[in-house]
Amino acid sequence: MLRFILGRMVKIALILLAITILNFCLIHMAPGDPALVMAGEAGDADPKFIEDLRAQFGLDKPFIVQLWTYVSHFATGDLGFSYRQQMPVSELILDRLPATLLLSISAFLISLILGVVAGVIAAARQGKASDSIISTIALLFYATPLFWMALMAVLLFSVQLGWMPAFGYETAASDMTGLARMLDIAHHLILPSVVLGLFFMATYVRITRASMLEVNRLDFVKTARAKGLKPSVIQRRHVLRNAILPVVTLAGLHAGQLVGGAVLIETVFAWPGIGRLMFEALQSRDYNVLLGVFTVSAALVLMFNLITDFTYRIVDPRIRLK
Amino acid sequence: MSNFWTTFKGNKGAVVGLVILAIVLLASIFAPMLYTTSPWDMVNMPFMAPGVDSSVPLGTDTLGRDIASGLAHGAYISLLVGFVSTIVSLCIGIPLGAAAGYFGGWVDDVLMRITEFFQVIPSFAFAIVLVAIFEPSITSMIVAIAVVSWPPVARLLRGEVMSLKHREFIEAAELSGQSGFTIITRQILPNTISPVIVLASMMVATAILTESALSFMGLGDPNVMSWGYIIGAGRTVLQQAWWISFFPGVAILLTVLAFNLIGEGLNDALNPRLAKRRG
Amino acid sequence: MLSTTAMRRAAIAAACSIAATSGMAQETPVKGGRLDLVVQPEPTSLMIGITTNGPSLLVGGSIYEGLLRYDENLEPMPSLAKSWEISEDGLTYTFHLQEGVTFSDGEPFTSKDVVFTMKDFLMETKSKWRAIMEPVADVTAPDDTTVVVTMKEPFGPFIRSLSYNVAPMVPAHVYEGTEYATNPANDTPIGTGPYVLAEWKRGSYIELDANPNYWREGLPYLDDVVYHVVPDAASRATAFETRVVSVLPGGSVENFDIPRLAAEEGVCTTEKGWEYNAPLSWMWINNRTAPMDNKKFRQAIMYAMNREMMLKVLWNGYGKVATGPITSTIPFYDAVEPTYEYNPEKAKELLEEIGYDGKELRLLPLPYGETWQRWAEVVKQNLKAVGIPVEIESTDVAGWNQKTSQWDYDLAFTYLYENGDPAIGVARNYISSQIALGNPFNNVEGYSNPKVDELFAKAATAPSDEERQAAYTEVQKILQEDVPVAWLTELSFPTLYDCSVQGLVSTANGIGNSLGETWIKK
Repeated sequence: MLRFILGRMVKIALILLAITILNFCLIHMAPGDPALVMAGEAGDADPKFIEDLRAQFGLDKPFIVQLWTYVSHFATGDLGFSYRQQMPVSELILDRLPATLLLSISAFLISLILGVVAGVIAAARQGKASDSIISTIALLFYATPLFWMALMAVLLFSVQLGWMPAFGYETAASDMTGLARMLDIAHHLILPSVVLGLFFMATYVRITRASMLEVNRLDFVKTARAKGLKPSVIQRRHVLRNAILPVVTLAGLHAGQLVGGAVLIETVFAWPGIGRLMFEALQSRDYNVLLGVFTVSAALVLMFNLITDFTYRIVDPRIRLK
Repeated sequence: MSNFWTTFKGNKGAVVGLVILAIVLLASIFAPMLYTTSPWDMVNMPFMAPGVDSSVPLGTDTLGRDIASGLAHGAYISLLVGFVSTIVSLCIGIPLGAAAGYFGGWVDDVLMRITEFFQVIPSFAFAIVLVAIFEPSITSMIVAIAVVSWPPVARLLRGEVMSLKHREFIEAAELSGQSGFTIITRQILPNTISPVIVLASMMVATAILTESALSFMGLGDPNVMSWGYIIGAGRTVLQQAWWISFFPGVAILLTVLAFNLIGEGLNDALNPRLAKRRG
Repeated sequence: MLSTTAMRRAAIAAACSIAATSGMAQETPVKGGRLDLVVQPEPTSLMIGITTNGPSLLVGGSIYEGLLRYDENLEPMPSLAKSWEISEDGLTYTFHLQEGVTFSDGEPFTSKDVVFTMKDFLMETKSKWRAIMEPVADVTAPDDTTVVVTMKEPFGPFIRSLSYNVAPMVPAHVYEGTEYATNPANDTPIGTGPYVLAEWKRGSYIELDANPNYWREGLPYLDDVVYHVVPDAASRATAFETRVVSVLPGGSVENFDIPRLAAEEGVCTTEKGWEYNAPLSWMWINNRTAPMDNKKFRQAIMYAMNREMMLKVLWNGYGKVATGPITSTIPFYDAVEPTYEYNPEKAKELLEEIGYDGKELRLLPLPYGETWQRWAEVVKQNLKAVGIPVEIESTDVAGWNQKTSQWDYDLAFTYLYENGDPAIGVARNYISSQIALGNPFNNVEGYSNPKVDELFAKAATAPSDEERQAAYTEVQKILQEDVPVAWLTELSFPTLYDCSVQGLVSTANGIGNSLGETWIKK
């Protein structure tokens, strides 16, 4: 087990390093640089000003030197400094990360729970009307552009009905603390997390349904039935347990997509997460921030995959037997 | 083949999908004839609601441009980006996956590490960066979508090839002295075509969604009228003019739905084994 | 000419002061309350002596102050300087400072801080300030409350260069002898203004509290001010509708939304507060390459554009079609000919005359949101209609800066502030000494005319306003004939606010410089 973990850790480190180098090269290929953007924003762009900024950022050094500087800092866990935001990148990301995690994890749980429950129901009522209704709804959500669904949700629930806040993470500067603040955040969280969750729900519905039906046909289920166990017990203890494996695999794969989807959702809902941070950093060529966000989100995905693997080991009876 | 059609026709969803796709295809082919003027022309009053003036049945946008014309011209862009980017990602994914699966060993190791690498980067975020770097255009969007969507193809191919590799007819071919390349292209690939087609139809759907999301974020080609662009442009006037964002959203939804339904139909028809399993 | 301008300005001033007094007479300000507004995009820093982008100034202007403030006719008003004298020859400026002013860290504000700010701090942080200081011989402090500025030659615009956004007074005791750009105090701004930074939750909001020791008696009225960061324009509109915020500073929502929001009950609108900046929009035309190197081709572009329609449809009629290089609200503007009415036939004739070959032009939109994107699309259609094919190049802020400053464009949208005086905000775009690669705000179009250079130089240092006006009138005529750039509109960014908010805009610098006197009617 320890060897397994160590091996994975080394692999994760190598992948992160490769991602960093690739992105570093890509980002530096983009036209414009942060000095120009900052000069532009300041409406103050005499060559000396821009040269000073470039020197300050180290952009006047050869590309290879810049890359080496970044990577050697990166190796010690230092993500660099955002000159535009005047603060260390790690601080900036840590500031925004909780919001993204809250959004992604809520959306993930919503999609997983709704998806698995709906999938189990659909499988149990195979061929009946409720089965096709569930499948159709799931497919519709899957085919709907995420940003469009978000816009329509805001139009309906915030503007027309006034039930939900249209944007934001919390009521700004409300001085709320403790439970009141948590409820406030939860209220703001509903629309974005449900919209993001519904999009991913569809795949869980389909996978769960298909997987349940397949496991139902396996011999051990027949044996269990023959032994006279109650159908509900069979479904819960035996079928679902085995049918969940592909769902776990899928969940691991979704981690990356959740972060990507968060970019869109965070933009529409003004959610102060790292997705938005990334988009802003990209537009202002805030290299270090952009690299930092990529590294952190890749690390998150890798961690998610690691968790998936562990879950797999715990859930899969065959692997446990070994 | 007749068997294929019988199964495919038996799937109601797939037939619906095919009908929708046919409409979208026709729209993209005949748009220049239906709407001879450019969809960018300001033909009427701005903010005209649908149904008010029969010359602009779906209303006009913020500048008085015909939404219906925009939808018709946008169909072409959506399909173009969807198909071409899928073809490009197949061209990347199939050789890599086939090589990894057939040769195994270190080749497999290296190729799979690369694949994993691309899977770990959040794909939409990566696509945004790629488009921004190469400057938004149809080409850069196609390249970006292809670059982020080939890994599943490679994984699928690898799996299929690995399971085929030890079949008798492949071993026979190996014994007869055929080269690895010949065996892969002549013997193995034709046998993997069914799952690839199914996957490809789903990928076209995803590519259309990604294109619209990129255009929505303002990273589309500013010289072509696409559905995502219309939604993005209409988003700030959502409350005064819901129709600007609404109709292209429905168009995307239906097109994406069509490809998914067709994908499922193909799956049932091409993989009878799977179809049975799916019930 | 001068007399008409002066009369017009006087008339406006009179009308405004009547409006102001009638408004003020009815109500006495009440203390207390919180003002919520949006800031877009999020400022990068609040230390406006270093960071001078719009959002930073909007917030930082309530924390820092300049020596002077300006009314809507750009006449100076007291701020940290209580009074001032300019000698007859225009070579000596004497400023008398307010007494009993302290920085928010409790240290007194004195002439030492003024000298430090002008001679050391801003000289290092702002190139714009270096340009303003060029004609200045010395800045001295004879005593704690007096500052004397001596000039090498007369420089009229100097008196309009002392606002908070150009020269915010920074504490010498904090910055002297330190590395200004990395001083930790930049994160905890220390100024003399009516508010102090309470909390900055990045990505969400910035909260300022009233400065309890503010030097102006009884001010500020508000307890605190909260600037909400909402990156999406539609969400900002919603925030206002639901009154999460009660003020939308100019430019914070898309123009299409303004009529709808303004029509709502209890919503007030003002176009004031932009007189100092006087934003003017135009398209850079790259004068270096064919066919744009031909004056007639550039004139054809002007005739081809339906600028009235652009103003009406894209800006909802807010603003004005520009006549030439100087905005009509800025001193020394003159309504001279030629101006260019929409006339596609004339454009076609001109193109015919020069034998234009139909070469496709690249057009770079300004990446500042939907309106600018639509604007480029309209220009493209307009030019297409007279036979000039155009390809819009998509780009973000970084790409736009790169391409314009490297002269890699055919046509490119921009808008710039005129900063209170043509010598400061206009000359830089047309004089040949300002043709320098790497700066998107100088003579980017590459226009060079010795006569124009001479006139601008003369106008800047002429001792009397009459002589300045004569030179500016002539230079406007030449430029309007030559069309070095395609002027579009004098922009107006109306501010929307809940009518309960009073005294929101009291200077030519708008909300950024006015919140000390703002109050909320109960």
